[in-house]
Amino acid sequence: MKKVTYFPGCSAHGTSEEFDQTVKMVMKTLDVEMEEIPDWNCCGATSAHTMNESLAYALPLRNLVLAEKLSNDTMTVPCASCYQRMKFTKIHMDENPELARKINTAVVGEGQYQGRVAVKSMLQYCYEDVGIEAIKTKVTSPISGMKIACYYGCLLTRPKAITQFDSPEYPMSMDRIVEALGAKAMPFDFKTECCGASFSISDTDVVLQLSGKILEMAKESGAHAIVVACPLCQSNLDMRQPDIEKKFKVRYDLPIFYLTQLMAMAFGYPKDKMMFSKHIVPVDGALAHIGEVIEEPKKTAKGKKAVKAESEVE
Amino acid sequence: MARVGVFVCFCGANIADFVDVPTVVEEAKKIREVKFAVDYKYMCSDPGQQMIRDAIVQYRLTSIVVAACSPRMHEKTFRKALSDAGMNPYLLEVANIREHSSWVHQKDKKAATDKAGDLVRMAVAKSIANEQLHEISVPVTKRALVIGGGIAGIQAALDIADARIPVTLVERSPSIGGRMAQLDETFPTLDCSQCILTPKMVDVASHPFIELIPYSEVIELDGYVGNYKAKIRKKASYVNFKSCTGCGACWQKCPVKVPNEYNMGIDTRKAIYTPFPQAVPNKPVIDAKHCTMLLKGKCGICAKFCEKGAIDFKMTDEVIEREIGAVVVATGYDLWDATPYEEYGVGRYKDIINSLEFERMVSANGPTGGLPVRPSDGKVPKTVVFIKCVGSRDKAKGIEFCSKICCMYTAKHAILLHHKVHDSRAYIFYMDIRAAGKGYEEFVNRAQVETGAVYLRGRVSKIYQKGEKLMVRGEDGQLGQEVEVEADLVVLATAIIPDKENPALARLLGISYDKYGYLSEAHPKLRPVETAKAGIFLAGCTQAPKDIPETVAQASACAAKVCGLFAGDTIKKDPMVSTVNKDFCSGCQNCVKVCPYQAIVTEDIPLGHGAKEMRTVAKINEGVCQGCGSCVAICRSMAINLAGFTDPQIINEIVAI
Repeated sequence: MKKVTYFPGCSAHGTSEEFDQTVKMVMKTLDVEMEEIPDWNCCGATSAHTMNESLAYALPLRNLVLAEKLSNDTMTVPCASCYQRMKFTKIHMDENPELARKINTAVVGEGQYQGRVAVKSMLQYCYEDVGIEAIKTKVTSPISGMKIACYYGCLLTRPKAITQFDSPEYPMSMDRIVEALGAKAMPFDFKTECCGASFSISDTDVVLQLSGKILEMAKESGAHAIVVACPLCQSNLDMRQPDIEKKFKVRYDLPIFYLTQLMAMAFGYPKDKMMFSKHIVPVDGALAHIGEVIEEPKKTAKGKKAVKAESEVE
Repeated sequence: MARVGVFVCFCGANIADFVDVPTVVEEAKKIREVKFAVDYKYMCSDPGQQMIRDAIVQYRLTSIVVAACSPRMHEKTFRKALSDAGMNPYLLEVANIREHSSWVHQKDKKAATDKAGDLVRMAVAKSIANEQLHEISVPVTKRALVIGGGIAGIQAALDIADARIPVTLVERSPSIGGRMAQLDETFPTLDCSQCILTPKMVDVASHPFIELIPYSEVIELDGYVGNYKAKIRKKASYVNFKSCTGCGACWQKCPVKVPNEYNMGIDTRKAIYTPFPQAVPNKPVIDAKHCTMLLKGKCGICAKFCEKGAIDFKMTDEVIEREIGAVVVATGYDLWDATPYEEYGVGRYKDIINSLEFERMVSANGPTGGLPVRPSDGKVPKTVVFIKCVGSRDKAKGIEFCSKICCMYTAKHAILLHHKVHDSRAYIFYMDIRAAGKGYEEFVNRAQVETGAVYLRGRVSKIYQKGEKLMVRGEDGQLGQEVEVEADLVVLATAIIPDKENPALARLLGISYDKYGYLSEAHPKLRPVETAKAGIFLAGCTQAPKDIPETVAQASACAAKVCGLFAGDTIKKDPMVSTVNKDFCSGCQNCVKVCPYQAIVTEDIPLGHGAKEMRTVAKINEGVCQGCGSCVAICRSMAINLAGFTDPQIINEIVAI
């Protein structure tokens, strides 16, 4: 039985409760015991790091110091923003002990930062620490038949110097997990494009455009649904989807799942545990594809042969 | 009693800003043997040298110390000043107070001045023990080795051979011609690359002073300037070139298809092949990695159809030796693999190609008959996006330097595209247009005006597929806007990198290379074609990215250097070589083992005066010895001394501080 420290972040207790719940279900199945950091605090996203550098370090640092009091050597964070702030702080503290000492004075009551605990996103933890093979062995009801576009957003794999995980431009870790569950991960060029993030509230139009483009390309890829591992991605693509459809006079009908929701389904948890009722775009249409046989399109003539055919005609 | 003159240089501000030069002069004057000490702004200039010459005569000096820059820079200059004044040039010592003091101690003038004083004291002490030395003459083998048969190697070989000096030209592939043979037309005049290159290739093959060894590699180089010995491995071609007529029956019948390197893998060649129809020599070779007869012992069709019986499956690699006096290295370039540009989908989309692939497509003898087509479906593209600086000038993903030729060939590609597909349009994303060269700026203007190519200043941030099209999203920096171009084909002007074998070759030849694998010239400004090793020269892109005119100019410069080296029957060599005191030598032969130049052999001498019994002692070949001093350090009986760095000289230096 593995043990890991868990930092849920504020959205897990609010808008992304279904993420939090399914993470817990999935981890239980994967024989991972999660230990929530006692008395954790806000990670500082997104306002602290634009307003005050010291505060932007101090808030995550307190959580890192608290995490070191637990015996686990890894901390996992479901929210991409929280993950980014934690990892950013960890890397800067580890690289610059002088800065670490200075920032530590702000949270000195909690203890001294040592840099002992690794910070990983939920996706990274599942991919690296649990592993594809272990996930495969737990799949009891594969979600085969579903075509999925995996959307990573901008923070899970970028910037590379901070996340040190997967490709910053065309990551494949989530695609591999989705395939392990039996679904088909579609080639999707917009997997790391910006969704508009917190402009959702201050300048909604930006989000409608950016997220609209992501939905359009996901639809183009032939996907039945989009899978995410970030609460803000989920809310922008899901909650704003009706507005986007209205604005651009299109119909996408693409439900936005959390990765752990699909994992839980494949692990055999009943559908009513997934809290699908919290979704704006109904999920049933997409789930109806489960069990369908996907016909592989005939392989088109290889490029080089095509070129040759042309030259022979000449 | 020694009479030493000390000359301290300001080197403009280079030394004087961080070392108190007059103090160094005053310190020097305190040394008993120093009879004259002076400073000057530029000691290497003619007035500076005149000061040295005058002082030698006036003060009857017996040795000279110049405190200035590194001896690598001006030792020769000052030695000449000594000779001009009738003094043995090896009575000079250089105290390097620039690289070793002023430049490295810029924050502490006092420390720098003190150190400069110490360096001068050491040099004065050493110079007192200096002896008169005389240059050594060594014979020269008047034959040049040219490695690489691209345009650089071809030009160097032809120019040297035209001076009636024999040349051995070694080419790795089955034919000479190199990258230039793959090009369609050349900027800025659009003359056909093949038309100007192939006559030169034929000249190489027929030149009485050129020995062309294709399909071969240099595997060893021993010796020293004027007296190198090269080992060349002739790869088994499995075809007897003497009886082969080049009729082509073999490659027409060969059933094995292999991606064609000459066409950048766009089409296939056979396992027995000549790289291209104009190949020189126009004889096929068998690719042993793919021939089923050589791999599995089945087939042999080529041998059946060869009327001359030229196919020989039993042929093996052969190693030959050549004695040569100089080497020209011209191993050319390769294209950087753009896979790290994941945001462009390199590797995922077939319709993203590199510039050499485009070049092959628009080439009249190319795989598509001169028409650009989309690799995915064979359709002729109407909208082509060219992206420059892919990998070049990009520290994060690729390499820092500018590849120099891409601005020009991309303009050429726009023109060629327009010539081949009249209703097409080129979009060119660029960072800067670097068109410095005769007729270059005009050529870029021509591309813009004549073809209507749209030049967009900005980087491409993403390429994605939408239906059949590739959507190229980038920045138009001049409008300050994001732009998206629906492209049929995308051509990446990827960075130029040196041949991947360059580091191994450099180690083999004993020359240096930079962090990218480019071979290093001796001086970036004043000795651009020489390497730090005497007698080895560089031509073409093996040293840095270059276009054809520049490559040809450098190749001719190499030829001039080789001809200069071979102008006399002997070449002069520094006398800083080791000598063995046979009385002390115990014959342990440790020196033989450590000598990196194989300059030490052994000889048997009588055990004593008139004795019949013999003993073995070390003997040094002055011509081969490079004066590295390894033997001096290893000799446990202190029997070896290095001229110019004798034990008394070194001990004097140590005592002085």
